[in-house]
Amino acid sequence: MYKSWWKILGAVLVTYSTIAGFLASVPPLPILHQSIRNLYFHVPMWFSMIILFSISVVHSIKYLSSNQQDDDLKSVQSINAGIVFGILGIITGAVWARFTWGQAWSFDVKQNFAAIALLLYFAYLVLRNAIDEEQKRAKISAIYNIFAFPMMVVLLFVLPRLSDSLHPGNGGNPGFNAYDLDSHMRMVFYPACLGWILIGCWIYSILFRVSSLEKNKQI
Amino acid sequence: MKKLITTVLMLMVTLQLFAQGEGSAIADTLAGSEKIYVVVTCVTIILLGLLFFLFSIERRLKKLEKKS
Amino acid sequence: MQLIKEVKFLIGKELLLEWRSKYALNGVVLYVVSTVFVCFLSFVSLKGVTWNALFWIIMLFASINTVSKSFLQESKGRQLYIYTIASPLALIISKTIYNVFLMLLVTLIALAFYTLVFDYVPQDMGLYILATILGSLSFSTIFTMISAIASKAGNGGMLMAILSFPVIIPVIIMLIKLSKNAVDGLDRSVSLDEIATLLIINVLVGAFSLLLFPYLWRD
Repeated sequence: MYKSWWKILGAVLVTYSTIAGFLASVPPLPILHQSIRNLYFHVPMWFSMIILFSISVVHSIKYLSSNQQDDDLKSVQSINAGIVFGILGIITGAVWARFTWGQAWSFDVKQNFAAIALLLYFAYLVLRNAIDEEQKRAKISAIYNIFAFPMMVVLLFVLPRLSDSLHPGNGGNPGFNAYDLDSHMRMVFYPACLGWILIGCWIYSILFRVSSLEKNKQI
Repeated sequence: MKKLITTVLMLMVTLQLFAQGEGSAIADTLAGSEKIYVVVTCVTIILLGLLFFLFSIERRLKKLEKKS
Repeated sequence: MQLIKEVKFLIGKELLLEWRSKYALNGVVLYVVSTVFVCFLSFVSLKGVTWNALFWIIMLFASINTVSKSFLQESKGRQLYIYTIASPLALIISKTIYNVFLMLLVTLIALAFYTLVFDYVPQDMGLYILATILGSLSFSTIFTMISAIASKAGNGGMLMAILSFPVIIPVIIMLIKLSKNAVDGLDRSVSLDEIATLLIINVLVGAFSLLLFPYLWRD
């Protein structure tokens, strides 16, 4: 976690994807026009959020088997970082939707479910605040976190496939492979995702280190 | 009669297409010049979010420094 | 074998307690009936989509009220007593089974009264009843676990609602879709997706409850 090569890699990838995202050529599209470039900025937010939440579940499981306070701290902080990315993803999504679908909130399945998935994690934070005793808080919130995770997976990956969506890839809309990602765009999109995931992990590690310092100071 | 109706219907469909070409409903300020400004807005939002995060870390670090 | 014996004993205990006071069943039936009646007085006549949505909203609140009692109402002394005589696995299984039966009973009574009052029968009543059975099954499995979490966390009702709503939303969406197919009288093969998803969600939730509850129960 303390090595710096992956942080540099993340920074380089994000810089590359931002520059290439604005300058590289994109296929001409009817309604989207140039705003298809948002793909390099909006979608990676969701990928990093999901990765961060998965990291948090792993640490919750670790906590239940080891009872180390550090694991609890890691799982909270990765959820905090994931929520930052989720909120950014939902705002950028709303802006993009306003100018392509006509409304900021266009009653799209994925948009609704993403909002509900965020609610799930807000509930997790409320649960943490409701319990005073430290051991008990760590244990109960770890259990809720593990219990909520499969629901989030169902919300974000299973249900949208069963109904129509304005997002590409669902309900009659051509998917990624049809026109969105020709080989040019792929060259930018995958590095963008990897880069933003790495940046997300970086943010999480900073949050964790600050909060563990705070904890040591208190004792 | 039927033919006439279909022609009128077809015409209406094409009318809508024309209207979309001019960007009727969605032609807002940000939608100008092929909507590149939408991307700019989103990138700015992400930047602002990360900067906000930086400030919050800064605040927590300040508290820590005061204590030690 | 020990487990089955314990489960049987605990279900017997629940039934006995319920039979003595008849509080939970009478309370929830009265609650459902009066809610349906209030809705009847305010809507007078309902059809199709709204009829369906209203039924699920009534059932959602009724089941939260019923199932949350299973853990929140037990006194500390009784919890300690159960802790000494039975394994946590037997406890969660028995509570879930008991709640499933209770909810099935309540839902069927509610459905009968609801169709009677509004004088509206969905076109495919068989499928609608299947949907309500699946609904009461998933409500009780999810809410039993969440009420255990909420009761351990200390401050009951409020936390119960916050924690359970985001988790139950995917289930509710599936249920409303499935029962809408029944209301419209669509061919039954259309609804197979929804039924499968609901069953998968139930299996997932059941497995996770069984895995996590022992950690929650021991202090």
